Amino acid sequence: MPETIDQVERVVREALKVACPDIGIVDGSTHLASELGLDSAQVMDMIMEIEDHLDISIPVATIAEARTLDQLCDSVRRVVAGPA
Amino acid sequence: MNLLSKFAPLAELRAALTGRGRVPSIATPMDAVHSATEATIDGRRVLLAGTNNYLGMTFDADCRAAAIKAVEALGTGTTGSRMASGNYAGHRALEREFADAFGWPSCIVFSTGYQANLGAISALAGQGDYLLVDADGHASIHDACKLSSATTIRFRHNDPENLARRLERLGEDAKRTLVVVESLYSVLGDRAPLQEFVAVSERFGAMLIVDEAHSFGMFGPKGLGICAELGLLDRVDFVLGTFSKSLGGVGGFCVSRHADFELLRMASRPYLFTASPPPPVIAATHAALKRLLSGDDLRARLWGHIHRFYAAVNQQGYRVGSTDPGPVTALVFDEREAAIALWQGLLDAGIYTNLMVPPSTPAGLNIVRISLSAAHSEADISRMIEALGKLAGQLKPAA
Repeated sequence: MPETIDQVERVVREALKVACPDIGIVDGSTHLASELGLDSAQVMDMIMEIEDHLDISIPVATIAEARTLDQLCDSVRRVVAGPA
Repeated sequence: MNLLSKFAPLAELRAALTGRGRVPSIATPMDAVHSATEATIDGRRVLLAGTNNYLGMTFDADCRAAAIKAVEALGTGTTGSRMASGNYAGHRALEREFADAFGWPSCIVFSTGYQANLGAISALAGQGDYLLVDADGHASIHDACKLSSATTIRFRHNDPENLARRLERLGEDAKRTLVVVESLYSVLGDRAPLQEFVAVSERFGAMLIVDEAHSFGMFGPKGLGICAELGLLDRVDFVLGTFSKSLGGVGGFCVSRHADFELLRMASRPYLFTASPPPPVIAATHAALKRLLSGDDLRARLWGHIHRFYAAVNQQGYRVGSTDPGPVTALVFDEREAAIALWQGLLDAGIYTNLMVPPSTPAGLNIVRISLSAAHSEADISRMIEALGKLAGQLKPAA
C-alpha cells in the first residue's frame, strides 16, 4: 500500500503515459478530456493501470468527478487512505 | 454556451461517418426490408450481413402468424406495467417457458434487453453492495451500474485473476458482490472464460450474472447459451438474454436458479415503471422460443456458415477480432479510413455490414462487423467471401 502523495502522483502520471504515449509535460490542472483528448475508454484503461500498480480498487463513482490530473490524484489518494 | 454545446465534438465524428458517400455508415437508412437477409438501401437491394438476426426469426412464418393473431385478439399494446394492467397470460406463459427451459424456478421478462440488464442488475445490487463488472461490458451493463446504489468497480476484460484480486480486496464484502460478465462480446465476438469466472465467484462467495444476449439461441443444448454448453447452470446465479437477436423480436429476460428472484418484481424500477411488452411481441417471441427449443436445424445451418466464413476471412489475411469462431466476425483496423473503405466497398458490392469506431469500440479499434444468419444461403456466404477477397488486397489491416 503506498504511503506518500508523491507515490500516488508518480503512478498516476505513469498510467497517463501508458494511455497517452505521445504526451508531453502535463500540468496538474490539465483537463484530461478537453485538453488531452482522452475518451472514457482511455480514462478507464488509465484507472486500471493505477489500480494494478497501487493494488487498490477504485470505484467508478470515485473517479467520475475527476476532470483534471490533480483531481484524479486526489480521488486516488482518498481510495488509498481508505474509509474515513 | 448552452446545454447542447457539449455535443459539438460529435459533429466531427458524424461528418466522418456520414459525409463521405451517398450512404451514411451510421444509422444507415433502410428504405425497405424484404426478408431476414435482404433490404433496400439507397435504392439498391442489398444482402444484410450486419444485423443480429442470427436465426432469421424476424420472418419466420409461425412467428409472424402468432404476432398477427395476438394483435387481432389482444390489441397493439398493453398500456400498463406488469404490476398494473399489463400482466397478460402471454407474459406469464412466456416466463414459465424460459424458466422451464433452464430448469430454474424463476424468470422475469422485461420490455427490452437494455431494460433487462438495467432492471436485474440495478435491483440485485443496492446500497452497501458491490458490482464487479467486466470493463468491456455492454453499455446497458454500465448504465445499470449507474442506476444502482451499489459501489461499482471494473476489472480487466476477460481476466479472472484481475477479478479475483478485486474480490480479495473486498474481504467479507465479497459476499455482497454481484459479478457481471457477458458470455460472448458483441463487438469483437470474443468469449468469456466462464468456467474461471464461476470458480473465482464461488471462491469468494460472490453471485454471478451472465449476459447471454449474443449467445442465447446459438450455443449449447437447445440453444440455451454458453453457460448451458459448459454445464454451468447449477453454478451460475442469473442468466440474462434478449428477444431482439436470435428470437427476432424486442424485449429481454432474466432467469435465476434462486426462487427469491421473483421478489425483484416488487423492487426493480425498470420493470415496475414501464409498460409491458405488447401482445404481438410476446406471441412472436413465444413462437420463436418454441422453434428454437424444438430442434438444432437452424443452429446447425448457422454453424456451417460460421466455420466456412471464419476460415475464409482468416485465409484472406484479415485481422479477426476473436480466435473463437461465432456468429459475429469483427474485421479489425488501426485506421478509421481503412475500416470505412472496407465498409463502403462491401456496400458497393451490395453487402450491408456494421461500421464501428472509437469511442464505442474496445481498445480504440476500428471495426467492420459482419454477422451471419441461419437464413443466409450458401450462395450468400459465397458472395460475402468473394467480395471480401476482392477488397482484401486494397486494405491495410491493424498491426
